[in-house]
Amino acid sequence: MSDWRYWDYEPTVRRKAKGGIKAKSQRGQIGETWWSRRFISLLESFDIGARLSRGRSYARSGQVTKLEINPGLVTARVQGSRPTPYKVRIEIKVLSNEDWNRVEEVMAGQALFMAKLFAGEMPHEIEEAFTASRLKLFPAGARDLETDCNCPDWSNPCKHLAATYYILAEKFDEDPFLIFAWRGRRKEQLIERLRTLRGSIAEPSDSASEQESLDLPEDAPPLLDCLSDFWGTGLNLSGLRISPRAVSLPEILLRQLGQPPLEVRGRNVADILEPAYKRMTAAAERKAFGGTS
Amino acid sequence: MIVLHSLWSSHSNLCLWGEDSSLADGLFLGRSERLPRDGLPGAHPFACDLRSLREIVGEVGGELLLDDLAKTDLTLLLPSKRGAPQASPHLIFNEQENAREAATKITPWSTPSLALSPLDAITLMLSLPEGRSSTVSIGPSLIFFAEVVKLALEFVARGRVLPRLLKRGQEFQALWRAVADGTDDRERLRLLARAMPAMCRAESIEASVEGRAPGAIVRDMIDSLVDAFVRQTLTECPLLKASGKGRRATRGLTVESWLAALTARDPQVAGSPGELSELQKQLDEWARPASDATRNALRTCFRLAPPADDETSADEMSRKAQRTRGWRLEFLLQATDDQSLIIPADVVWKTRGDALTFSTLKLENPQEKLLEDLGRATRLYPALEAALRRARPVAMELDAEGAYGFLRAVAPLLEQSGFGVLLPSWWKKPAARIGVKLKVRPKDESGKDTSSGLLGLEGICNYEWEVALGDEKLSFDDFIKLAGLKMPLVKVRGQWVELKRDEIEAALAFFTKHGAAGEMTVGEALRVSSGVEASEVGLPVVAVEGLGWLGQLFGTDGEQRLSTIKTPRGFVGRLRPYQERGLSWLTFLGGLGLGACLADDMGLGKTAQLLAQLLAERQGDGATRKTRTGPTLLICPMSIVGNWQREAERFAPTLRIHVHHGAERLSGKKFARAAQKSDLVITTYALAARDRELLAGIVWHRAALDEAQNIKNPAAKQTQAVRSLRAAERVVLTGTPVENRLSELWSIMEFLNPGLLGSASGFRTRFANPIERYRDEEKASLLKRLTGPFILRRLKTDKSIIRDLPDKLEMKTFCNLTREQASLYQAVVDEMLEKIEESEGIERKGLVLSTLMKLKQVCNHPAHLLQDGSKLENRSGKLARLEELLEEILATNERVLCFTQFAEFGHRLKQHVQERTGREVLFLHGGTQKKVRDAMVARFQTEDGPHIFLLSLKAGGTGLNLTAANHVIHFDRWWNPAVEDQATDRAFRIGQKKNVQVRKFICVGTLEERIDQMIEQKKELAARIVGTGEAWLTELSTAQIREMVALSTDAVSE
Repeated sequence: MSDWRYWDYEPTVRRKAKGGIKAKSQRGQIGETWWSRRFISLLESFDIGARLSRGRSYARSGQVTKLEINPGLVTARVQGSRPTPYKVRIEIKVLSNEDWNRVEEVMAGQALFMAKLFAGEMPHEIEEAFTASRLKLFPAGARDLETDCNCPDWSNPCKHLAATYYILAEKFDEDPFLIFAWRGRRKEQLIERLRTLRGSIAEPSDSASEQESLDLPEDAPPLLDCLSDFWGTGLNLSGLRISPRAVSLPEILLRQLGQPPLEVRGRNVADILEPAYKRMTAAAERKAFGGTS
Repeated sequence: MIVLHSLWSSHSNLCLWGEDSSLADGLFLGRSERLPRDGLPGAHPFACDLRSLREIVGEVGGELLLDDLAKTDLTLLLPSKRGAPQASPHLIFNEQENAREAATKITPWSTPSLALSPLDAITLMLSLPEGRSSTVSIGPSLIFFAEVVKLALEFVARGRVLPRLLKRGQEFQALWRAVADGTDDRERLRLLARAMPAMCRAESIEASVEGRAPGAIVRDMIDSLVDAFVRQTLTECPLLKASGKGRRATRGLTVESWLAALTARDPQVAGSPGELSELQKQLDEWARPASDATRNALRTCFRLAPPADDETSADEMSRKAQRTRGWRLEFLLQATDDQSLIIPADVVWKTRGDALTFSTLKLENPQEKLLEDLGRATRLYPALEAALRRARPVAMELDAEGAYGFLRAVAPLLEQSGFGVLLPSWWKKPAARIGVKLKVRPKDESGKDTSSGLLGLEGICNYEWEVALGDEKLSFDDFIKLAGLKMPLVKVRGQWVELKRDEIEAALAFFTKHGAAGEMTVGEALRVSSGVEASEVGLPVVAVEGLGWLGQLFGTDGEQRLSTIKTPRGFVGRLRPYQERGLSWLTFLGGLGLGACLADDMGLGKTAQLLAQLLAERQGDGATRKTRTGPTLLICPMSIVGNWQREAERFAPTLRIHVHHGAERLSGKKFARAAQKSDLVITTYALAARDRELLAGIVWHRAALDEAQNIKNPAAKQTQAVRSLRAAERVVLTGTPVENRLSELWSIMEFLNPGLLGSASGFRTRFANPIERYRDEEKASLLKRLTGPFILRRLKTDKSIIRDLPDKLEMKTFCNLTREQASLYQAVVDEMLEKIEESEGIERKGLVLSTLMKLKQVCNHPAHLLQDGSKLENRSGKLARLEELLEEILATNERVLCFTQFAEFGHRLKQHVQERTGREVLFLHGGTQKKVRDAMVARFQTEDGPHIFLLSLKAGGTGLNLTAANHVIHFDRWWNPAVEDQATDRAFRIGQKKNVQVRKFICVGTLEERIDQMIEQKKELAARIVGTGEAWLTELSTAQIREMVALSTDAVSE
């Protein structure tokens, strides 16, 4: 504990926050994707000692009660030892419209950017798009950020700020568009701008639909209308083809969906699930074709 | 008999219930309301009780453990009339005729039922027997749910399942869910929902009489089955290793709990609701694209286009001439329900506004849709990223390697993930592949006698491989040049061809080492040519050409191409042309030591063909042959021993026949000597098992089986015994279509050509289950190619056969008496002979007539004479024969009239036949009201009417029009040909479109046979004296009567 300093010591106990945002990653590192790691590694470079791990623990136990991402400014409330949660701010320079225009032109020039983003991934090539315009998407050091917390800790970042960083990183994991929003371009704006640049003008819509498994009709003809063949004597399923053969790539669905922002013991959930698919596909084929009748 | 029904209940289990005909039989329908006044559902009056249900499930349920089945009380909404539920049409029972019409209502009925867990439901549904048996009929609701089970398994086998976190009430559960992909799954799910029998929805929930929604039932069933199956598969191997004690203490390991609950018995996930809903959101978001694909009217589609044609090069075998670049993978949007509707990407990029309208389709945000799909596709096809490095990508350029990789590996992945994929039409066509053609020729072509040196499937033949490109031959030089190109896709003779590197290399290695020619067995050649076995060459076998007699064996029209053997000398009568072809075919296969199955339709004369073969192979015996042809052993059911004997005497009187049956049958050396001195030894399946050692001690020239369904159980003693027979040739005669009963087919082939179809269990997984459970057409045609050379089945409806057949075919069916019948018969005869000497006049007449009546009754059935209501099974030769014939008639979906002159016995016959066949039997007799009779006739004549019509000769012999039947059976005789013909004409009259087969049952060695002979011998006399009925018989002298009623020794066969 060489870096222990007496003012680090806070004798009070943090208060339990109600309805706080808990970090999903309850173990190991927080921030799963390369783009949120970029962000977290910045925080971890600040050398703030035990505040880092306390911040992580704050994030995990849901001390961050509110987090808003607005152009240039992230605000959060973090429940500490005092009754009123501390106010946390992380400011970053918003890119000017001209800057954005330049970046957007590059992005519009390659379908890959939006293709990956829509599929939930920040394309690696994004940094190329920014450097091409002599801009940076990610903050490179402390000088790129203006941070503040109204807690009594002298250190900046304090553990409340650190907690906010972690929660923010997870938000970025879930939706990489939020990074752009912080830098001054909301998702809708970006989509619209890019579409315009690509040569069309339109409004995006919310395509996220509620998916309750299989899509089947809900109608039920009254039984009294089904008397002509109530028992199904005329049942004819000869047009139905079913072939329960195991596929050559059992985990194809996992591949198609990519990795969810979920990790357990340092492994992504998709990787953990993969062996199960091999087993179940083989077992289903065995069951379907085996046995006697 | 019990009809089994099922439904998928609101508690997510499979409920089984049944209707019991024995309970329905006694039920008097049409009394007052059965509904109790308080509105509670009444007890279903003929629902099967739990004990019988368990018995039935034990019978049909395969490996199901009965102890695991829970009983539940089910309230069913059933169509009801006059205070009772209607019976399903599958329930065969004696309904009270009731002309009064009443309105049908939907009424709740409380019904005992067994509940099966999802896993048990899977096991039961996969082991359901085909068709019906005498005790249980599988209702359509089970057939329906079996398909749902198979589809659920298919989802798992294809990996189309995802783990989810779902909120059920206050509880969060980790569940596996099926994910439909694209249009195909969607269509099949909808097809199932549409096809669902109303009965499957008849569970009464909260007093509603509407019935559950079919879509909801299918969804819940698939979800439950998928979850249960995957969970069970993974119980043994949890996704995460159990964490150490220290780690467990840390709180809030939501994801870990979720993963653990996915493989646990209990799907509940512990954790804070906030964290759990957050995880649920993330998982939903992750899974969204998978199910989205099914909802959109448009999907992204990839189309691979080969390089545009340029001038064709003279030397296409050079690498230079082959185009290596210029393949294009185009990006498109495709309508999911009409795959010919496609929108190229450049149209999408040019879209103004937020929606694209194309034909009748409207798509919101088409650019974003295309972008998102392309982004998802990069995960399956990383090479695609390069093409997306432009603003408006419309296609991707590929070289030949890339195109090949796409065709082989990427396209199936994309397709399975719900993308559209359009490939050039030549891909997957046989012409697009390089293969080998197998040429086989007999090893020894010099000798004319094809049978020399061949031992069935083990016989050796010469082969030669030829490389082929589609149908065309490719010289070895060209093949080596092609291989030298080392390109996966080449254009040869204007045709794109796939060259699989490993196949080509294997083939080159094979040819270098072994050359292109060699020797193999006939069995190997068959298996290789039918595609069951991969060829050693490494390349797929695309064609087989047989030379010499092998050409006839491999040909599809083997029977047609054989040189015909004419009707042999000594055969009484003439074989019809198709019978001569059948004789030639039997002789051809027999000569090669290969077993033959003659499966001609009933009535086409299989017996005559085999008898002719016996005569034909004896022509020239002695003088030209060094050895005499040995005896043929014929094994058949007891009921047709007499028929074989009579047919042999009639068609081939020169054959020496020995019947091995009865308590006095020969044994040891005596039998061996008798057999060696015979041409045909006839015995039964029962004796084949009992006298196994005796029969196996003789080397037969031929072992022949009639009614081969008797060996369908491979483990049965008689099957084992029959297989152990030593014979140079093997023949099976059967009238049922063997291709529809695969276990029977296996047994027959294992007898005829052992080893051809592999082991019984291997055959089941490889052929029977895929064909029977999943209608696998590829496997069915493979099996047909493999067994085709050994089965000859001509239908009476075949054009070439119809020509040769008369419109009406009259046959005598000779039956044997059982021992019980014989002793009763003898007792009746003795009694009469005692009395007849002392009687005269009216008394004598009465005695003779009553004796004749009694003897006829004995010939029908002991219970008929005794009138004691005793059981009918296994006590009468005639009844056994009737059951066999009905089985064949029903198997070919034809209809039959069966006449008897005894109305009272008819009632018992009807009941028995209904129970045995599980089919409704109409019975028309003197007591039938005209209105009911008319209704019966009308029903029988409709397309889906009953198949069996039993009539008393007096009530049904005249007037009626019953042309739906093309079989007529006279179970007993009215010794008056005119009366019988008139009855026959119910079917054989204007309006009849088929050949009619008429069978008259005659008991061998009894008065039935002797009267028949008298009528035959004195046709003109008979026509005169017989006109008045049977009274003429009383005019015979006592000596004549004694002779006529005497029981001869060949009457019994047991």
